[in-house]
Amino acid sequence: MADKKSVGHAYNVDFLNVVFAASCLFLFLTSIWMIWDDYDREWKGHQRQFVLLESEVTRLNLESAQAAVDEGRLEELRAQRAEAEQTVLLNRQRVDELEGQLERVEADLYLASQNYNFQKADYDVERYAFEEIQAEHPEDAEGLRPEIDAMYDRWIELGLEVERLTADRDGLREQIREFTGGVSDADTEIREITAETTRLEERLVDLEVDFVNDYLLNAPLLDFMAPTLTVQQTITPNVVDDVNFTRVPKMDRCQTCHLAIDREGFEDYPQPYRTHPNLDTYVGSASPHPIGSTGCSVCHDGMGQSVGFVHSSHTPTGDEQTHRWEEEYGWEVPHLWDYPMLPTEMTEASCAKCHKDTVYVPEASSLNLAYGMYERAGCYACHRTRGFEDLRKPGPNLTRIAAKLEPDWVGDWIRDPRAIKPSTWMPRVWYNSNTSSPEDARRNEVEIDSVVAYLFANSEEHEFAVRRPPRGNAARGEEIVASVGCLACHIVGDESRLEAGPRRTFGQPLQSIGDKTSYEWLFDWVRDPRHFSSETYMPDLRLTDREVADVAAYLSGLSGPAGQPAQATYDDDEVGEVLLDYVRSVLPTAEAEELVGGMSFEEQQIDLGRRVIGRYGCYSCHEIAGFGQETQPIGIELTEEGSKLLPRLDFAFVHDIPHTKIEWFKQKMRDPRAFDRSRVLQPLEKLRMPDFGMSDEEVTLFSTAIMSFQTDVQPLAAQVPRSARHDALREGRNLVRRRNCVGCHEIEADGGDYGELLDDPSLAPPMLTPEGAKVRPEWLYAFFREPITIRPWLDVRMPSFGFEDDHWNMVLDYFAAISDVVGPFRTHDPVTLAQVPPEGRELFDLLRCQQCHVLDTIPVDQPTDNLAPDLRMASERLQPDWILDWLREPLAIQPGTRMPMLWTELPDSFYPQFGQDGERQIEAIRDYLLTFRGGPSPLRAGN
Amino acid sequence: MDAIKSFINIFADPRLFFILSVAALALIVWKREIFARNIVGYGLMAVLGVFFFFGLFDENFVLIIAKPDNVPIVALIFLVIFFTWYSMREAVLNDQRMEAGDEIIEKQESDRVWVWPDLVYTELISLILCTAILVVWSIGLEAPIEQPANPAATPNPSKAPWYFLGLQEMLVYFDPWLAGVVLPSLIIVGLMAIPYVDTNPKGNGYYTFNERKAEIVIFLFGFVVLWSSLIVLGTFLRGPNWNFFGPFEYWDVHKLEALTNVQLSEYVWVRGLGQALPDNILLRESVGILLTLAYVFALPVILARTVFRTYYDKLGATRFYVTVVLFLMMLSLPVKMLARWVFNLKNIVSIPEYFFNI
Repeated sequence: MADKKSVGHAYNVDFLNVVFAASCLFLFLTSIWMIWDDYDREWKGHQRQFVLLESEVTRLNLESAQAAVDEGRLEELRAQRAEAEQTVLLNRQRVDELEGQLERVEADLYLASQNYNFQKADYDVERYAFEEIQAEHPEDAEGLRPEIDAMYDRWIELGLEVERLTADRDGLREQIREFTGGVSDADTEIREITAETTRLEERLVDLEVDFVNDYLLNAPLLDFMAPTLTVQQTITPNVVDDVNFTRVPKMDRCQTCHLAIDREGFEDYPQPYRTHPNLDTYVGSASPHPIGSTGCSVCHDGMGQSVGFVHSSHTPTGDEQTHRWEEEYGWEVPHLWDYPMLPTEMTEASCAKCHKDTVYVPEASSLNLAYGMYERAGCYACHRTRGFEDLRKPGPNLTRIAAKLEPDWVGDWIRDPRAIKPSTWMPRVWYNSNTSSPEDARRNEVEIDSVVAYLFANSEEHEFAVRRPPRGNAARGEEIVASVGCLACHIVGDESRLEAGPRRTFGQPLQSIGDKTSYEWLFDWVRDPRHFSSETYMPDLRLTDREVADVAAYLSGLSGPAGQPAQATYDDDEVGEVLLDYVRSVLPTAEAEELVGGMSFEEQQIDLGRRVIGRYGCYSCHEIAGFGQETQPIGIELTEEGSKLLPRLDFAFVHDIPHTKIEWFKQKMRDPRAFDRSRVLQPLEKLRMPDFGMSDEEVTLFSTAIMSFQTDVQPLAAQVPRSARHDALREGRNLVRRRNCVGCHEIEADGGDYGELLDDPSLAPPMLTPEGAKVRPEWLYAFFREPITIRPWLDVRMPSFGFEDDHWNMVLDYFAAISDVVGPFRTHDPVTLAQVPPEGRELFDLLRCQQCHVLDTIPVDQPTDNLAPDLRMASERLQPDWILDWLREPLAIQPGTRMPMLWTELPDSFYPQFGQDGERQIEAIRDYLLTFRGGPSPLRAGN
Repeated sequence: MDAIKSFINIFADPRLFFILSVAALALIVWKREIFARNIVGYGLMAVLGVFFFFGLFDENFVLIIAKPDNVPIVALIFLVIFFTWYSMREAVLNDQRMEAGDEIIEKQESDRVWVWPDLVYTELISLILCTAILVVWSIGLEAPIEQPANPAATPNPSKAPWYFLGLQEMLVYFDPWLAGVVLPSLIIVGLMAIPYVDTNPKGNGYYTFNERKAEIVIFLFGFVVLWSSLIVLGTFLRGPNWNFFGPFEYWDVHKLEALTNVQLSEYVWVRGLGQALPDNILLRESVGILLTLAYVFALPVILARTVFRTYYDKLGATRFYVTVVLFLMMLSLPVKMLARWVFNLKNIVSIPEYFFNI
C-alpha cells in the first residue's frame, strides 16, 4: 500500500481521501447554510420584536385596567368571601360527608353514562343490520325483531338509570351549596370585576419568553410542527386578484409583519408595528372595510402573497425614504409585479376600484380633490374617461369670439395663458419643451396667427341685450362681487389654482379680465350669461341693471400683465409652407401644392387655422365653428390607464426618472412633451399634449386620478351595493360637484369653500346635509326654480340656475338619500290654532324664540350671527318630524349652530308645562309654530 | 475604458461574432500545436476571467451576466472553451507521440482497471460536490415569484430556454418550419446516423486529431460554433425585439434594425431583368427552386465525383450520400447567414401564399 499508484491507481488515494473529506465538510456546511437560509426570514424577526412591544403595550393596558378596578368593591367582596369561608368551616364535617357521597354518585354516573352510550352504539349497529335484512329479505326479518326490541328496551332502562343518578348528584350539589354558596357567589363577582386585569395578566404570562414556545417550537428543522412564529394571512373571497386567466381570492400576508395593523395601542410605534392610521374607516372590525373581508392589497396594491419587504413591492414616498430603504432593505424599483404598492399619498386612487362612477367618495379627500382638478383641467375633453362622459366642454364657447375679444389679445393669450392669468386652467399649446427652439418659434407664430384668424373669420354676430349700457360705480361693483357670492366660483386675486381649489376655479379666474374684454361685453354677460352662451353653467344672480353696471365697471378695471408678445416674425409665404406641410399629410404632394397654391394669403391662413385647431384638439374644450360633436377627441382614452402595464408606456430617451408607471404619468404632467427629448421629429410628429404648468402637488393629484382609472376586476359583491338610494347618492354627489353647489354649500361634510372666505361664518350659505329630512320637497323644488330671500341679513344669495326638471329632481332625490328619508310624502295632520294646546304658545313666549327668529320683522339689537329664519315659513317649508328632532338636539343636526339646546334633560324638562314632560312640550311648540302663516314663499309665485 | 467597451461592443455584432468564431476554429485547427500548449489554455481562461471581472464594473454588463437565468451560461463559456482546449491538447500530444513512434498516453496505461476505488470514489466525490454546488446555487441565485403570466403582455425579449437559443437564432434566417421543424429533426436523425456512417475505427478510446481530422472539424463547427456560440450569443447579445446589443450596451427597446432584406425572386426579376414579378408562383420562384433542388440533389453527386471522391470511394454510395446531405443541411445555416449578410437575401424560395419559405 506504500505506493498505490504502482498497482494501477489513477489517483493518489490518500489525496482522494482528503478531497472526499473536504467535499463532505463542504456539503455539511452548505446543508447548514441551507437550513439556516430556510429558517432565517425577515418576518420572524418582526414577530419576535412584536412580542416585546406587545408585552409593553399589554403592561400599560394592565396598569390602566388595574386603575379602573373598583378597589373598594373588591375589598368588600373579599371580606364577604372570608365570612362565607367561615360558614363552610363551621360545617366541615357535614360538607365532607356530602362531598364523599357526591364523589361516589359521580363515579356511578360516569359508568352509567358510558353503558348507556355504548348500548346506544350497539343498538344502532344491530338496528341497521336488521333494517337491511328487512329491506332485502323481508321473510328473514320477522324472527330477528324480538332481539332488536330487547336491545332498545335495555337502552331505555340504562337511560333511566342515568337520569336517576343525575338527579341524585344535583340534589347533593344543592345540599353542598347551602354551605358553600356564599364563597362561590363572591368568587363569581370578583371574577367579573377583575376579568380584564386577569385576561391581561394571562396574556403577559403568555408573552413571556419560555423555552418550549420560543426556542424549541421555532427551532430550525423543528419549526415544521407547531411554530409560534407563523405567516399570518387573510383570504378574501369577494376581493380578487386578476391572474389573467382567472380571478382568485386575494391572499394577503401583510399582517405577518404588520401585526398590529388592526389593533389599537400601537399608533406611536415604528413600522411595521404601527396601527392603521384610520381604523374607523379601514381595517378595523367595526369599519366598513374590515381586514377579514377587504384585506390590504386591494387598496394599497403590491404583492399581497409575499412576506418579503422588497418582493411585496413596497413603494417609497419621497427621495429621503427611497434612500433609506435602499440602504436598509436593499430596496429597488419593483419590476417583478405589475401593480406595485401605491405611494402612501396616492392610496386613495384604489377607492375607485369599488366606488365606481362617482367623483366623490366619502373620506377620500385627496381623491375627491384629484377628481375636482381632473374636471377643472378638462382632461376628459381630450381623453375619454368612463364616469366623465357627456360633460360640458370645459372651455368657453368661441363661436362668437369677435363680440368678446380682440385678435391681438387672443394671440398673446394662447401663446402663454398663464402669463396673463397665472391661475387659469387653459394650458399652453405652443412654446413647450419640444417647440421652443428658435426654428420652432417662426412656425409657432404662424400657427398661432392662423388659429386666431380662423376663430375670428368664423365668429357669429352677437347683439348685446342693452345697446348702450349705463356706466357703473367700480367701488360698489367690488363690494357686490365680494358679497353676493361670485367668489365661490371665481378668483380675482393672485391665489394659485391649488390654493383656490377646484371649486373656486370652477369659473374663469377674473384676473386681468379688464384687459381681456370690453365693458359692453361684461355688462351683457353679467346681466344674463345665457344671452351670450345658452349652455353656460354661470347662473343668474338676479342683479339689477344698476348693480350689473357696477360689477362690469369693477371687472373692466381689473388689469394685469400684458402676456407674452410674439417671439418671432415670419414671411407671408411661410404660412403657405406650413399649410403645405399639413395638407401633405392627407393629400399627395402635387394635389396639396395645387390646393395651397390656389389660395390667397387669407384663405391659407384660415385653412391652416382649421387644421391646427384639429391637430391640437382645441375643439375638445371649446365650442368652435366647423367642429361638431362627432369630431373625435385627440387624446387616448384613460378609462383603464391606471391598469396599463409598464411596457406600454414609452420612456423614449428619458432615463433620469425611475421607470415606473407613476413616474411616467408624473413626468407626462410635469412636462407633457418630455418624451420627445433627444428625438429627431418632424413638426407634425411631435407630441402635442399642452402644458398645464402643474405644481408638484397637482402632479401627484392628477397621477392619483389617473391611477384610479382601473380595469374592472373586483366582483359586484365587493362594490358599493346598487340600490335606488345609492344611485341617488352617486348621481347627486356628481351633480352638486359638476354644478359647483359645493362651492357655496357644505354637503356631506365637503365643500362650502365660500364660507371660508368670510370673517363671520354665520353669514355663509347654509349647510345642506340635513336638507332632505328638513325641508318639504315641494317647497324646495319651488325655491330652486324661483329662489326667495330666507335670511335677509345675508349678502350672499342663491342664484337662479335654470336647471331642467331632471336635474332638480336629482338634487331632491340626493338630499332625501343623504338623510335616508322614506320619500317625499309624510303624514302630518294640518294644525289649526284651536287644536294647539295653550302650552305651545306659553312655551314659545317663555323660550323667547322671537329673540332670534324673524316673525315678520327682523329682531332688533341682535348681531347677525344670532338671527334665524322667519318662523312663518315653517308650515310650508319644514318637515314636521324634523322640527321635533331639531328642537331636541340642534347641534347633532348642524354642528356650530346658534340654536340653543333647550331640553337638556329629555324626556324630562325644566319647564313646568305638561308635568315637565319634555317630549310633549316639544310637540306643542312645534304645533304652535305650524299655525303661523303669511311668510315669504316661493310657492305663491305660481310654482 | 469606454473605448475598450465600444470596441468589444462592435465585435459583438452577429456578423463579426460568427465570422470570428469560424476564424478562431480554423486557427485552432491549423495552429493546434500552439493552441495545445498549457500557457494558451490557462491563458484563455485567465483572459476570459479578467474580461468578466472587469465587466462586473459595468452596469449593463452586470444586468445581463448576473441575471440568475444567465449565470450558468457564463459557466458554459468557460467549460466549453476549457474542454475544447483540453481535448485538443490531449489529441495533439498523442499525435506527436504517434509521429515519434511512441505509445499513446492511453496505451501506456491500458493494463489498469480503475473502477475500485478510483472511479467509484471520484464519482462519489463528484456527487457530493454537485449536491453542495446546487445547494449554494439555489440559495445564491434567487428565483422569486413574479407577476402572473399575461398573454397580452409577453416579455421583450421573449427567449427560449437556453438550450434552444441556437434554434431561436436560426429563426432569424429561416422560416419557422425549417428552423423549428425540419432542421431540428435532421439534427436528431444526424446524431442517430453517426454510428452507421462513421466507420473509421481509429480514435476509439484515445485522443487524436490527425486520424480523424474531418470528423473533429465537423463536430467542432457544428457544436462549438453553430450550437454553443449561438447559445451564448442568444443569451447575452440578443436584447429587446431580438435586436443585437453589445455586452456593454443598454438594452433600449427603441433600438431599430432596418428590415431591408430582398427575396431572391426580386433579385432575379426586378433587379436583374428589370420587370415586374411574374404572377405565376412557380415561374416567379423558379430560380430559387432550381437552386434548392440543385443544392440538395445535384451538389452531392457533383461532390462525389470531384472533391470528395476519396470519401465516396471509402464510404460507398449510401453512406456517402447520407453524410453529405446531412453535412449540407448543417452548412445551409452558415450559407444562408452569409447570403443574408452579403446580399441582404431574405429567402431563396418565398411563397407566402402557402406559408412556404426557404
